[in-house]
Amino acid sequence: MSGPHRSGERGTIRFTFDGKALLARPGDTLAAALLANGIGLVARSFKYHRPRGILTAGAEEPSALVTVGTAGRSEPNTRATDLYVYDGMVARSQNRWPSLSWDVGSLLGLVAKALPAGFYYKTFFGSAKRWMFYEWFIRRAAGLGDAPVAADPDRFAQRAAFCDVLVVGAGPAGLSAALAAAEAGERVMLVEQDRILAPSLVRDPQDLDPVWAEATATRIAALGGRILLRTTAGGYWDDNLITLNQHLTEPGAAPPDGVAQRLWHVRAKRVVLATGALERPLAFAHNDRPGVMLSQSVRTYLRRFGVVPGRRVVIATNNDDAYLTAAALRAVGAEVVAVLDSRPAPAGASSGFSVHNETLPFATKGARHHLREVNARIDGKIVRWQADLLAMSGGFTPVVHLHMQAGGAALDWDEASQAFLPGTARQNVESIGATASGTAVGPVLAAENPGKAFIDFQNDVPLGDVDLAWAEGYRSVEHLKRYTTLGMATDQGKTSNMAALGRLAEKQGVAIPEAGLTTFRPPYTPVTMGLLAGRNERDAGAHLRRLALYDLHQAESPIWQPLGYWKRPRAYPRGAETLAEAALREARSVRTAVGMTDVSTLAKFEISGPDAAALLELICATTVAKLAVGRGRYTFMLREDGLVFDDGTVWRLGEDRYLLTSSTGGADRMATHISYVRQYLCPQFNVSAVNVQEHYAGIAVAGPSAKAVLAGLFGEVPPRHMSTVPATIAGLPVIVLAASYSGERAFEIYAEASHAEPVWHACQSAVTRQGGCLYGMEAMEFLRIEKGHLVVGGEIDGRLTPHDLALGGMLNKAGGYIGEAGLTRPALSQPERKQLVGLAAIAGTIPEGGMLVPAEGGPAQGHVTAAAFRVLEGGAIALGQLTGGIARHGEELVATSPTRGQSARVRVVAPHFYDMPGDRYRD
Amino acid sequence: MTEATITVLPAAPLFAFEIWSNPVEAAQRFGAAFGARLPASGSSLQLADLLLIRYEPTVWLAEGNIGGLAEILGTDGSLTAIGGGIVRVRLSGTGWRSLLMAGGVFDAEAPSFAAGSSAATLIDHVGVRLYVESDDACLAYVPLSYAHDLVHFWELAAKSLV
Repeated sequence: MSGPHRSGERGTIRFTFDGKALLARPGDTLAAALLANGIGLVARSFKYHRPRGILTAGAEEPSALVTVGTAGRSEPNTRATDLYVYDGMVARSQNRWPSLSWDVGSLLGLVAKALPAGFYYKTFFGSAKRWMFYEWFIRRAAGLGDAPVAADPDRFAQRAAFCDVLVVGAGPAGLSAALAAAEAGERVMLVEQDRILAPSLVRDPQDLDPVWAEATATRIAALGGRILLRTTAGGYWDDNLITLNQHLTEPGAAPPDGVAQRLWHVRAKRVVLATGALERPLAFAHNDRPGVMLSQSVRTYLRRFGVVPGRRVVIATNNDDAYLTAAALRAVGAEVVAVLDSRPAPAGASSGFSVHNETLPFATKGARHHLREVNARIDGKIVRWQADLLAMSGGFTPVVHLHMQAGGAALDWDEASQAFLPGTARQNVESIGATASGTAVGPVLAAENPGKAFIDFQNDVPLGDVDLAWAEGYRSVEHLKRYTTLGMATDQGKTSNMAALGRLAEKQGVAIPEAGLTTFRPPYTPVTMGLLAGRNERDAGAHLRRLALYDLHQAESPIWQPLGYWKRPRAYPRGAETLAEAALREARSVRTAVGMTDVSTLAKFEISGPDAAALLELICATTVAKLAVGRGRYTFMLREDGLVFDDGTVWRLGEDRYLLTSSTGGADRMATHISYVRQYLCPQFNVSAVNVQEHYAGIAVAGPSAKAVLAGLFGEVPPRHMSTVPATIAGLPVIVLAASYSGERAFEIYAEASHAEPVWHACQSAVTRQGGCLYGMEAMEFLRIEKGHLVVGGEIDGRLTPHDLALGGMLNKAGGYIGEAGLTRPALSQPERKQLVGLAAIAGTIPEGGMLVPAEGGPAQGHVTAAAFRVLEGGAIALGQLTGGIARHGEELVATSPTRGQSARVRVVAPHFYDMPGDRYRD
Repeated sequence: MTEATITVLPAAPLFAFEIWSNPVEAAQRFGAAFGARLPASGSSLQLADLLLIRYEPTVWLAEGNIGGLAEILGTDGSLTAIGGGIVRVRLSGTGWRSLLMAGGVFDAEAPSFAAGSSAATLIDHVGVRLYVESDDACLAYVPLSYAHDLVHFWELAAKSLV
């Protein structure tokens, strides 16, 4: 006996397994190549570190898991049966030390009886600290492959597709269905998880010539059908949305165009599932050794890969299909020494093999890479066969995962095949071929040594664990699953669930369908996280939004700050300045001379039409209609519950034309709100509300010299505070708004964004001539906190009323604005509400976000919303929300952040630290 | 071979052309002035120097020479400039439909999405408007702030079209 081998050419593809250089033939899976090289031991099991070989030839493989690739391309827990060898492939076994052959962890197998199902729950209890101690050992004793530490250098694409018919599975049934649909003029997609069409025809060419598959596919493609190989339909969602995982390159390999995998979102009018059926193992002692394989897989290795998994073979089966394997083995010269058939005579009598009916293997004994012996109890005696391979077949489980995911009355029990078949579906899905029809099987005989008879090979769950769970009171299949971890490994129990259900039903004394069924959830096979994340060049999973003047800012080498999806300059350091130093310099320039910043990200809406003022008086809680043309005012907006959710300014540009600005962070929300008001609350209005946030680039010029800057730019006296004029700067039309967010005389200049660069240059030159500089968001924050201006997301957090923010006096006394009714709720007038306050440090630096407490350890009465320093005088200041804060001016509190270990004594003051009368706004 | 070329076009004057009242009369005035009907949802109208694409129930995107449109609207609507915030990107070649499927949710491969058709959809989470210029080209109207990243996204996607 020699175990697995392959005759003839060794192949030309070089790869390594655990550092050993090996050769493979084109088209080999790693499993096939390892077997061809005489390697049967490829893995160690999850819990007991038992030696494991190759059980299957497909995506359902539970045992032969490897890590493939290196560095960022390293992919753990990859099935050797679902991985095609490529030149230079580096594959490694997992969960072993120091080597696969000599694994110290296998000592756990000696104490396996002490480590049954529920071992953790019974042993590792106590405090959380104890668990941290236990975990160190558990992590090292059990597990799968290691997740890669390096970043994946490849990209993952996502794509949508639409079709009339999606056929999943390119076997004979799937190909036929796809061809019929294509010939009927339908848009067809056909997907196959294997690398070749109709792999079952290669395994069993007696059914149909494999050439038929190629011809059929050619015809489908000619009719416009799309065929995707190496593509797994992993999830079936509502409205016939199916997600496909397409391998563009093998795991661990460098993709030629940088894209490793593609996630397809396919919306199909109709789905045809031709996903076939999976062969089931049999449960007997040591059924998990290298050299024990599923029967059909043996045929696959023989006929597709030219690999002979063993020379002296025992067949164990409860159905006729395994006799095809026996015949295939005999055809290549292997010796089938016995067929153990669980069915009574005369099953198998005419096969020409030595058949032992009503017999199940008792146990196996193994060498490193193959079996040595299979034994069985026959007529009360143990009979032994010298065998290097055991091919087993416990029947077939139709692949109904996608059908179940599609919902509805999912599955029907078929007694003859001892399997669940697709039932009525909620969506437009149909199952065909082996997916929809069972294969008759005989009885599943009871294993004599259930503690060593594995049913879940990947999570090391033997029949004995099911018995133990039952004995300990776990009756529900859901509880059984979680207690034993059966079916919860990366293979999702593809080969184990039916055996477990059978055992549970036997314990309950009911039929299998009455024992219940767990739920198949997506994905069908494991999916790398990168595929779900999509392309890997975005921050936070989304595109960054660039300012229209991004390149000009970039030329100044700013420190960038993400703000939502925007990237905005935080400060423009000079030389070796730190962020704080640069920001303070910039803020002082605004206080003493002039500064200039980019405010393009502010939300902006152009409201025009005879009902423009009426619309705005719904949206804004302040008066609008009384504004004269050319004038503007500060405003704020309420939700219908009366709470402030945004603020901004509103400007009357013409008789029936207004510009509304609001916060950057709330821009999308405000757009939605305006659309809601326009379309649902007042569709009768003659008004247009257009989002012009991106149409205009905005430049703010602020400081005592701002007026001089503006006068120089367009040669006229700039508008007074809260006034607006159209103007021309650098030959381009602009809108000038005299508004301030800094406490200084200031202007906002809006120019069409696509042509704003000359305006920026002109402003920057003028500012520089006045001794000013650019300033970023950090300086803006210093300035606005000192002045007591609000920011959405900070002071305006959707929980305060206008009164809480000391804005009650600005409410439109005529009413009619959204939120007016909500504002009358008594709870919003309670004195103990959180209210806006200023905080001046008595000692220490005020921690932003810190709690406000009466004394260290005391109850939280509020929090610091924003902290800064006085720009010119120095000293820490902050804004905050404090319970009953407006009536508590003068009170001393502690601002504390226990998580950062920071605290400061503060005095509650009015939220204005600079020019409270507003004299500096005015000329 | 499936290929796509991505071309960023120069900024153009674009306007939101909105009718808020008397739509029948406004449409009649439009017909009388231009000899054509205002395009319906999902479609467009290409005149000599004016392109109108309907992208909301009462709003059309107007590109080009808008002379006369304000008079047609009268007091029944308004024209608002929006072109400063929109980048026009031409996707051309045999693969432009495939390109739009990358990160997309809209069936740009449908035969019915033919020359003259328009759509408002999301591409990789970015809201864009599409106008099919011909069998070989489609215009995408992309928000300026997203244009750099989305064009880069398309350039990468164009390397592996299916």
